Amino acid sequence: MGEALVLGLVSGPACIAACGPVLVPSLLTERAGLGAHARYLAAFLAARLMGYLVFAVVAWELGALVSLLRAPRMPLVGAVYVLLAGVLLWYAWAARRRCARACAGQALVQISENNIETKQAGGLAGAAALGLLTGLNLCPPFVAAGIRAAELGSLGAALLFFAAFFVGTSVWFFPFAGLSCVARSEAVTTVARMAMALIAVWYLAMGIAMLLGRRVYGY
Amino acid sequence: MATEARAVRLGSAVRRGVGQSVLLTLPMVVWSLLMFFHPGAATDRNSVIAAGVTMAFMVALFFLMMRTGNTYRWRRVFFVALGLLFPVGFIYQAIHFRGSMGIPMEEMIAGRTPFCFMPIPMLILPAALTRTVVFPGSIVGVGGMSGAGIAAMVGLWLALTLVLGRGWCSYACFFGGIEEGMASAPKKATIRKIDPRWRLGPWAVLLAMVLLSLALFEPAYCEWLCPFKAVSEYLAARNTVGLLQNALFVVLFAGLVVVLPLLTKKRTQCSCFCPFGAFQSIFNKTSVFDVRIDKERCKPCVACQTACPTMSLSKESIARGETLLSCTKCGACVDACPRGAMNWHVKGTEAAANPERARLLFLYAAWALAVMFGGSILAQGIRTILHFVL
Repeated sequence: MGEALVLGLVSGPACIAACGPVLVPSLLTERAGLGAHARYLAAFLAARLMGYLVFAVVAWELGALVSLLRAPRMPLVGAVYVLLAGVLLWYAWAARRRCARACAGQALVQISENNIETKQAGGLAGAAALGLLTGLNLCPPFVAAGIRAAELGSLGAALLFFAAFFVGTSVWFFPFAGLSCVARSEAVTTVARMAMALIAVWYLAMGIAMLLGRRVYGY
Repeated sequence: MATEARAVRLGSAVRRGVGQSVLLTLPMVVWSLLMFFHPGAATDRNSVIAAGVTMAFMVALFFLMMRTGNTYRWRRVFFVALGLLFPVGFIYQAIHFRGSMGIPMEEMIAGRTPFCFMPIPMLILPAALTRTVVFPGSIVGVGGMSGAGIAAMVGLWLALTLVLGRGWCSYACFFGGIEEGMASAPKKATIRKIDPRWRLGPWAVLLAMVLLSLALFEPAYCEWLCPFKAVSEYLAARNTVGLLQNALFVVLFAGLVVVLPLLTKKRTQCSCFCPFGAFQSIFNKTSVFDVRIDKERCKPCVACQTACPTMSLSKESIARGETLLSCTKCGACVDACPRGAMNWHVKGTEAAANPERARLLFLYAAWALAVMFGGSILAQGIRTILHFVL
């Protein structure tokens, strides 16, 4: 348990770097306020834990070598990328809303006069979908944890290992709730939606390339 | 004060006599001599001719700015020349040293990539979190084909940026000239109505590229979205993904740098896409110079808004008496205003107190940068042409 916790703590920056393209823009499209962002993060992290535990079962049942080999890994990562792209595009579309308060971004651009919130962003379902998919995404710290979990004697131990690893990495995610300070102008929401669409296109291209078995840098 | 007393004010432009203009140009002559003929500068025939031609060109343009009172018209001549000559010199160097415009992955890993200022915003987060420079150039002085290391480039950029803010994008960037030339070509814009939300595009690209660079530990913008790869260097494609990346460079260049500027008369890449431009906008807050609107003189004819090539003016910002954060200080709005309501301004001084003095102060700083940074690129391009002609 201690080893898993420390592994999670030290590899946390790599985890937030890997999840950043999904987490940051989706948080920025959320309703402003610390409470809303905390709820989003809770849903995201809970679903991410579920992803971790599912992977722990697979790693333990099949053995780390099978689940982490390049050939079977490519279609899995490809499928996760395509699904992530789909959810991000849906999220970017669903996050059509206007300022809840006076737009702080008028030095950049003034988009609309009326500060009426018309539609909420992806909500908890969106957060959960993104959390689950990033939980299944095989980032380097996750692979390290997977190998260690597969060496353990029982499924229960593997699950506990991943749960402790999750707690260690999650500490690094809490500061993201601070994004609620900036996520209150229409300009920020629009930027986040555009960025989300761009990132989704990248995930889609990479995902399709992996599913087709094409060579992709880093994989 | 005597200078301004002898000057004739027409609209916003202050027209000066020849003698006065020569006197005001003298500091730039000295600066240009230092930049182009300093001890240790190349002394071969082509280099000397190129340095002489570039110096004459830069000094003549500055003189014309002083003489006519127009800023944008003469700056644009320099900027378009910079945009056209940069690829000439760069491609020649790439082919001369590497044998190809394409960068193989092993060259990137070995740090033999010429450094470019574009990924600076994408280096900061990975460097802060991991002490890793994700750009594949070398951090030491010998890194990159140009010999300029990352540290030197970042230091130079920071010093100039703190003073000029996003003025960098109109006086130093070697990419913006081509699209400015394209935007200037048609008499009227075919597409006149552009959704203001596109102004947020650069911030979105910046956010996406910073996050992807951090996740991939690669300069995501350089590998995926830089339109100027099409006229500088491309990735040596060895697989489908590499082909896709190069195809994207060409499509983005054709769309954002050629077709859309022709249709809109705007620098569409700079105003709707460039992540470096967005990042640079932040430094308009630190810059001592800005452009202000004298609300008493202004009859909102929106001539300034129409003239602005980077969409940095809106009806709301005009009503507030200021430009948007994305202003590149190119001077188009100041030159276009028929009532002299658009003015250069030094922050901390009274608005419109002495706009011509503010313009002079800005132009000395900006043109010094243009001579030092852009001038060396112009000279390299001219030297390359001479290499083939003479």
